[in-house]
Amino acid sequence: MTHAVAAPTLKMGIPITNAKLGMWLFLGTEIMFFTAFIGTYIVMRMGSLGWPTDTNVTHINILFGGVNTFVLIVSSYFVVVSHDCLLQHQYAKAWRFMLYTLLLGCLFLGIKSLEYAGKFQHDILPGHIPENNRQAMDKVVNQFGKLVDRRLQADAVIAAAKNREEAPKTRELQKAALDARIAALTEKKEKGLTPEEVKQLNDATALSKLSAEYVSLKEHVRSNLSLKVDYAKFDDIRKEDNPSSKYDPVSLEEVNGKVEELLKDKDLGPLASGLSPAHPILYGNLFASNYFLMTGFHAIHVIIGLYMFLMVLMKGHRLNISDATLVENIGLYWHFVDLVWIFLFPLLYII
Amino acid sequence: MSEHEHHESHGSTYFKVFCTLCVFTAISVVADIVHLPSKFLLGAIVLAVAVAKALCVMAYFMHLKFERAWKYLLLVPTTIIALAIPISLRPDIGASYYVQDIPQLHDYPEHEASVAHQGGHH
Repeated sequence: MTHAVAAPTLKMGIPITNAKLGMWLFLGTEIMFFTAFIGTYIVMRMGSLGWPTDTNVTHINILFGGVNTFVLIVSSYFVVVSHDCLLQHQYAKAWRFMLYTLLLGCLFLGIKSLEYAGKFQHDILPGHIPENNRQAMDKVVNQFGKLVDRRLQADAVIAAAKNREEAPKTRELQKAALDARIAALTEKKEKGLTPEEVKQLNDATALSKLSAEYVSLKEHVRSNLSLKVDYAKFDDIRKEDNPSSKYDPVSLEEVNGKVEELLKDKDLGPLASGLSPAHPILYGNLFASNYFLMTGFHAIHVIIGLYMFLMVLMKGHRLNISDATLVENIGLYWHFVDLVWIFLFPLLYII
Repeated sequence: MSEHEHHESHGSTYFKVFCTLCVFTAISVVADIVHLPSKFLLGAIVLAVAVAKALCVMAYFMHLKFERAWKYLLLVPTTIIALAIPISLRPDIGASYYVQDIPQLHDYPEHEASVAHQGGHH
């Protein structure tokens, strides 16, 4: 191995250190990276015939956004203060300001995660948002179907455990077992039931009712299906899957009304909890994709920044003037993260 | 690192820039709260504020004001390439010359009408 000659920190050409040049080149690629997202967002929004801007619909919280903007600005300021102190040989103060920056970065992520939690709670997620009445009704039916499946499954498992049997696996078998139990308990009713059996009968009847409500709602909504393909062109299996409905078409208001009614019901309410009415949001999915793409990548950058701050903080008492370039570069990166947020805030929260 | 030995503190400049940034943020928030007559005006104001804030951060916090001409060598090409993406997408996606057929619009007006009928509450 040959002995490597230490490269001079300053060289001919660009009058900055290699490390700083590297950081600036990296930031150049980062500019292109984020402009691609922000640019496509603007272009897509321009090309859309509508956009969800009502904060009651999008659950965008301008207060969260504003506070987070302020938090990042303060943290950016603390980074430059930290770098300045380092150059003044005030190493303890530099370390302290670096710590404040780290804490502010954590605060930013905390507020961000509150915001994300709200989005998950209201199901404002890409691909989850109905964009017209038809899709909203389908969403309610799908949600209801999954809920009934879960309830039937839980019920079957508990009932089977009591009798030390294996729980039935399919929905049909679970429903059949439930009906059999109701029939048996009803028959026994004349001879008198123990309080526990009365409760069992009530629970089973409520679940059976919920299941019936689901089937009825599904049939009503399905009758709205406007198949554009000629019915005769479907093969026989397809015909069996989609028999023409015997019900009159329903509107979204009626479907949502039914959901509210179930939730308020004395017996079915607890079983139906988790069900919610659906409202269409035009271009909601495109909005959610853009929102999560931009804020998500920004949050990843924040996390990387925090890791770098931690790297400097780990030096503790050993932090000194030789770390000035490192701190300057981390500062440059952090200011860039701040810059991106400066544009995301008005674009996502205000306009 | 001897060049750092007699470094002058920029503390007061940094603080002034920080205050300016806070004022700009407040302007954006106020512009949103007062409900300006036109959405376009609001957009123009908040984006102008964002550009001003970005310039402040770049010039002072990122020291670009004090750097030599290499900054242009690095930043001008990246900016041009960055802008190329939205500009090249615009003709087909941002402003199409044909009439779009948008499936989700098919019964959306019906929903809007019913919401308006109910007094506009979700």
